[in-house]
Amino acid sequence: MDAVAFAWLSAGIGLGITVFGVGTGIGRLAAAALEASSRQPENAGDIRTTMIIGAALIEGVALLAGVVCILLAVKNPS
Amino acid sequence: MNNEHGHQHDSTTHGSDSAHVHAVAQAADHGSAHGDDKFTFNKLLDQLGDHHELNIFFGHYEILPVILLDESNNPHVYPNVHAMEDAGVYTMHHPGHGHHIVRTHAAHTEKEACPLTHAGPSWDLSITNFVAYQWIAMILVTILFFIARSRYKKAPMEAPRGIQNVLESLVMYVRDQIVQPNVGTEKRASRLMPFMMSLFFFILTLNLISLLPGAHAATGALPVTMALATCTLIVVNYIAFKDAGVKAWFSHLLGGAPVYIAPIMVPIELVGIITKPFALMIRLFANMTAGHIVLMSLVGLIFFFAQEMGTTVGWGVAPISVLFSVFIYLLELLVAFLQAYIFTMLSAVFVGLALGDHAHDDHHHAEAH
Repeated sequence: MDAVAFAWLSAGIGLGITVFGVGTGIGRLAAAALEASSRQPENAGDIRTTMIIGAALIEGVALLAGVVCILLAVKNPS
Repeated sequence: MNNEHGHQHDSTTHGSDSAHVHAVAQAADHGSAHGDDKFTFNKLLDQLGDHHELNIFFGHYEILPVILLDESNNPHVYPNVHAMEDAGVYTMHHPGHGHHIVRTHAAHTEKEACPLTHAGPSWDLSITNFVAYQWIAMILVTILFFIARSRYKKAPMEAPRGIQNVLESLVMYVRDQIVQPNVGTEKRASRLMPFMMSLFFFILTLNLISLLPGAHAATGALPVTMALATCTLIVVNYIAFKDAGVKAWFSHLLGGAPVYIAPIMVPIELVGIITKPFALMIRLFANMTAGHIVLMSLVGLIFFFAQEMGTTVGWGVAPISVLFSVFIYLLELLVAFLQAYIFTMLSAVFVGLALGDHAHDDHHHAEAH
């Protein structure tokens, strides 16, 4: 395999790993938030806000990885 | 040989059912013109990038001026791309993917022997697609707010109606749910409101414009998000300087650790100051770009299958592709609001973080003085 093939392969695998990590992370976050707000419905608003901030931070790291994957995927085959 | 490519997509207006379809078809078109029949990802990215034409509602309109500075800083100003090509000094160059402005063959041979690669202008200050969108967004937001303002002036005590309703609920939401809880005092919140509201409505409008048929996401371009994040960086540190004091700002660099750890803590905290806006920049850019890539890829599947397995399969894939892209489009509508919310929210959170313990001590100052 040449370098470009490796780049495309790693872009695909990298995106898979990224999505796996982010799915796990945001899933756990949402589960915890849901549990917390069902125990204390009066705090649901605060919990939702905090959850969205957390989700955005997790997603931010994931998107960094996604950008790297895009850069690998558009590697010029010349 | 490069300059033979000239200008592949010229000023003929391309009408088509969906601008995304049109863009993908055009991307495929670019490829076939260069002996590369494969429909690839690079062409999608090229379509999502900046252009020297206004792309909106099923067409390219060459109405945007091109302003170039050459190597000796001489300005070249043309009313549009077509005029630039007619003038003959610069031309639009389309290699395998991407497009950029380069000097023409003729302009080179006048001076010296033609080099292998044609030099571009040293500065491209053109009013591009994204600049035009941002101006449209600014004008739109200003007009809407002036309409609402005139209603409030005319009938201050009456219930809001029409656009006034939408704006009032959004403004109240930004103030009470986003800014106020994060920056501490009400006074500081109302001081920050103009900035936060500008961020929110500017990003929201750009995101929504990008969902119009044929339009691109200006917030999906790194320079745009970088400018917005730089504004946040400045505002966050200005508020920290002003409200917490210079001494507190410098003591934050220690992060509460003893002085002898300063050689480690200060670089880390300095990096931290830059990383937060940097993350804002990447988040907005990547979110908007990702959605549009997914949309275009889904529509592109039709062309991919039509190319690889024949027209019938292409037609067969079309309904599935369209259904999925409608779903993603609706998701993008949510993302448009969510990203404006997140950007504003995190800016407010960063202001609160930069203030640290000083966020709530306005009354302390009042007592001390």
